Amino acid sequence: DTWRYAFEEAMDEVQGKFAQKFKEEVEANTDHTIQLFPYGTLGESADIMEQAQAGILQFVDQSPGFTGSLIPEAQVFFVPYLLPTDQEQLGRFFKNSKAINEDFQQLYADQGLELLTMFPEGEVAMTTKEPVNSCADLNEVKFRVMTNPLLVESYQAFGATPTPLPWGEVYGGLQTNIIQGQENPTFFLYSTKIYEVTDYITYTGHNNFTTAVMANKDFYDGLSEEDQKAIQAASEAAFDYIVEYQKGLADSELEKIKEAKPEMTVTVLSEEQRKCFKDAAAEVEKKFIEMTGDSGKKILDQMKADLQAAAQ
Amino acid sequence: MALTIFSIMIVLLLLGFPMMIPLIAGAFVGFYTMLNGFSQMETMVQQFMAGIRPASLIAVPMFIFAADIMTRGHSADRLIDMVMKFVGHVKGGLAVSTAAACTMFGAVSGSTQATVVAVGGPLRPRMLKAGYNDSFVLALIVNSSDIAFLIPPSIGMIIYGVVSNTSISELFIAGIGPGLLILVLFSVYSVIYAYRNDVPTEERANWRARAVAVQRALWPLGFPVIIIGGIYGGIFSPTEAAAACVFYALILEVVVFRSMSIGDVYQTAKSTGLITAVVFILVAAGAAFSWIISFAQIPQAILGGIGIDEMGPIGVLFVISIAFFIGCMFVDPIVVILVFVPIFAPVVEAVGLDPVLVGIVITLQVAIGSATPPFGCDIFTAIAVFKRPYIEVVKGTPPFIIILLGVSVALIFFPQIALFLRDLAFAK
Amino acid sequence: MTDKPQSSEHASSLPGFLGTIDSAISRIESVMLAIGVLLMAANTIANVLGRFVFQSSIFFSEELNRILIILITFAGISYAARQGRHIRMSAIYDAMPPGIRKPMMIVIALVTATFMFGLCWYSYGYILTQAGRGRVLPALQIPVWWTLVWVPVGFFMTGMQYLLTAIKNLQEKDIYLSTNVLEGYDTDEQEV
Ligand code: NA
Ligand code: NA
Repeated sequence: DTWRYAFEEAMDEVQGKFAQKFKEEVEANTDHTIQLFPYGTLGESADIMEQAQAGILQFVDQSPGFTGSLIPEAQVFFVPYLLPTDQEQLGRFFKNSKAINEDFQQLYADQGLELLTMFPEGEVAMTTKEPVNSCADLNEVKFRVMTNPLLVESYQAFGATPTPLPWGEVYGGLQTNIIQGQENPTFFLYSTKIYEVTDYITYTGHNNFTTAVMANKDFYDGLSEEDQKAIQAASEAAFDYIVEYQKGLADSELEKIKEAKPEMTVTVLSEEQRKCFKDAAAEVEKKFIEMTGDSGKKILDQMKADLQAAAQ
Repeated sequence: MALTIFSIMIVLLLLGFPMMIPLIAGAFVGFYTMLNGFSQMETMVQQFMAGIRPASLIAVPMFIFAADIMTRGHSADRLIDMVMKFVGHVKGGLAVSTAAACTMFGAVSGSTQATVVAVGGPLRPRMLKAGYNDSFVLALIVNSSDIAFLIPPSIGMIIYGVVSNTSISELFIAGIGPGLLILVLFSVYSVIYAYRNDVPTEERANWRARAVAVQRALWPLGFPVIIIGGIYGGIFSPTEAAAACVFYALILEVVVFRSMSIGDVYQTAKSTGLITAVVFILVAAGAAFSWIISFAQIPQAILGGIGIDEMGPIGVLFVISIAFFIGCMFVDPIVVILVFVPIFAPVVEAVGLDPVLVGIVITLQVAIGSATPPFGCDIFTAIAVFKRPYIEVVKGTPPFIIILLGVSVALIFFPQIALFLRDLAFAK
Repeated sequence: MTDKPQSSEHASSLPGFLGTIDSAISRIESVMLAIGVLLMAANTIANVLGRFVFQSSIFFSEELNRILIILITFAGISYAARQGRHIRMSAIYDAMPPGIRKPMMIVIALVTATFMFGLCWYSYGYILTQAGRGRVLPALQIPVWWTLVWVPVGFFMTGMQYLLTAIKNLQEKDIYLSTNVLEGYDTDEQEV
């Protein structure tokens, strides 16, 4: 059969690399073929998610942050300083976490989706027009965030003026100074050219962008056992590949940015400088629990336990 | 299947069906054949909604509203009176001013549809009064508005830049040359047209009359200040500038000039809503149609058979131009960029083409496509706003399209038209 | 683009009580159109003021505009159908003699009505699906399906308008573009 797989990024970005590896593995080990649909070719994130639920797409990659309107608990990935920045520890966490592999599995299943894997896409960096060395530097900075209550809450807590703006207006908005900052993983800063219109990249370590790959559940359940095994094997292989691929990816993309724009200032905040951001995180965590109730708290606690385990 | 769909659409279009029906029928047939009969029609509805979702679309009703208020009140008249005092005695002067105003407005607003209404709305009646033929006026407005795609900010270039990993700043600068070249050629054609049809001129105004006209236009001159100053001053986005214009227009006409009552404002809002709906239902249906074309991987199938790999850079640029030109005749330009660019990326790299040049070539085709029959959102907007028959809106386009295609060919053979400014600015 | 409110603007071709309902719907649609546009302007301006003057964006501004666009579009398509304002390419049609134009118009109206009723049905289904999944708007936290309620209604009302146009053309001697409008573009640019 021909299976269809849509994702939120371009072919050369992290989700695209994962999808290509997945396709390669599935096609090598089964007699099915996979068509890939990158960003925008079948609609936005919410569209492709619905299409996967409707069974038009067999596979979809949607980041839990975007899943928040469907599965509120998924917004846990927006709680600052929950996930570590160490990629190796993150790799172990996603592989072994009970929260991911059991709790979220169930939440997605309730929405008709079989969660195949979650993987990290790299530390989120702030890019701004002025230097950021502390929360105080964000004062009065109009900071673009996705339309998500937790992100708005986070940047409010950091002291900025969170400004929800559609992605299409971000480049122009930075150019004309409607907004003075935005956040994204390093590879995205390079591929979307946002570095052209900002002058400072700051790593505060407050978040790691996470994404999830799912299959339509009816489709998946209806497959033969061999096919199911092949899909699981393919997603594991693609996971290992993407963790390996991302080693040093942030560094190499950062090099490319510096090459294209030598005057770019890159800062990694020290533990001391991060303190006020970390203090602010507590408020966001409270807001998350307020929004998602007991089930949110349960997931949060489980994730903390799993992260503890992955730290060893 | 592609052939069936396109044939059905053309037939329905020619028979005089409401324009949404060919698009909806095309999408229906696609969904029916690709997705198991009627089982997935809900996704078609989903794509209708996706089509009218982009926040930047808000600029369209807002500029329609502002332009309508200005035209019903005094602002537009005073502004145009002022322009006429300076160019009224020149043959073709008003047409050239219209083209220039479209280019300038398109440059700041970034929306071709908004340009059609905001500039065309007030200027078209005056051009008709001055003796220009309506088909020429409509074609001039629609095609000049499309220069907005080439002059920054341009949403088409941003999307291309992201998909093809090309510097958006470089694209923005490279678009200016071809954009201005088109404006010059349109102006030349306008003057030739005015002479050939002997469009009457007004008597040259003396400086005193000009000073009075400028003084009368002082308040309305706030519009360009708000739009340009607001956007480049970082106060608002192009979309928000549209709403700011509504606000300012209301203050002028209701409070300062007292030319409109609250009841008039209500009527204007209603007619704005009607025009918006007529255009947006086509945007919505177009999105559903574009989705199924993308889903069925029809472009890939068609392009697969061309043998582009054996061509040199010039041949590749021609194929790209033709592909985008045809694609944009039927499908939403943004979707065309998203689907086509990755397909062409390997061959563009293989023959060593400058991705910035490719981006400009593509943007130009997208601009041409949205003003080219049969389907183009700027044509739809002009029909809805000016209430003229489809055929009259497109009748005057051939000379403009010939100019645009001429520029496309020139761009392929003389890339410096686009790259000169880029090389200068980025010291390449 | 000038117009004067006409007494016949909301007139219905339906007899008696049905006609009263039809006129009332026409009035409701026109109010929604006007209010929708005015609210959109107010909302967008308020967001600018909020961000620039009070250093705080209206976090739901974009979502509200999105809701208003849906409202305007789907209230507007049936109002436009009523006023015969939908865009068509009528060159070939116009060249036909009246004896052919009339049956053509009936077929066009009936086929269009069929597609509208079809879309009404599927958009109703889409709303049910959305309601079942419980998706909410991220900022406003209201169910997504609430924002879509006007979609099937708009398609249904549009379908009704085209159906009535077909019936009107069967009954009357003249050729009607819509229930309210005789065919032919007016040259003096009046009406809404
Ligand atoms: Na522009
Ligand atoms: Na077109």
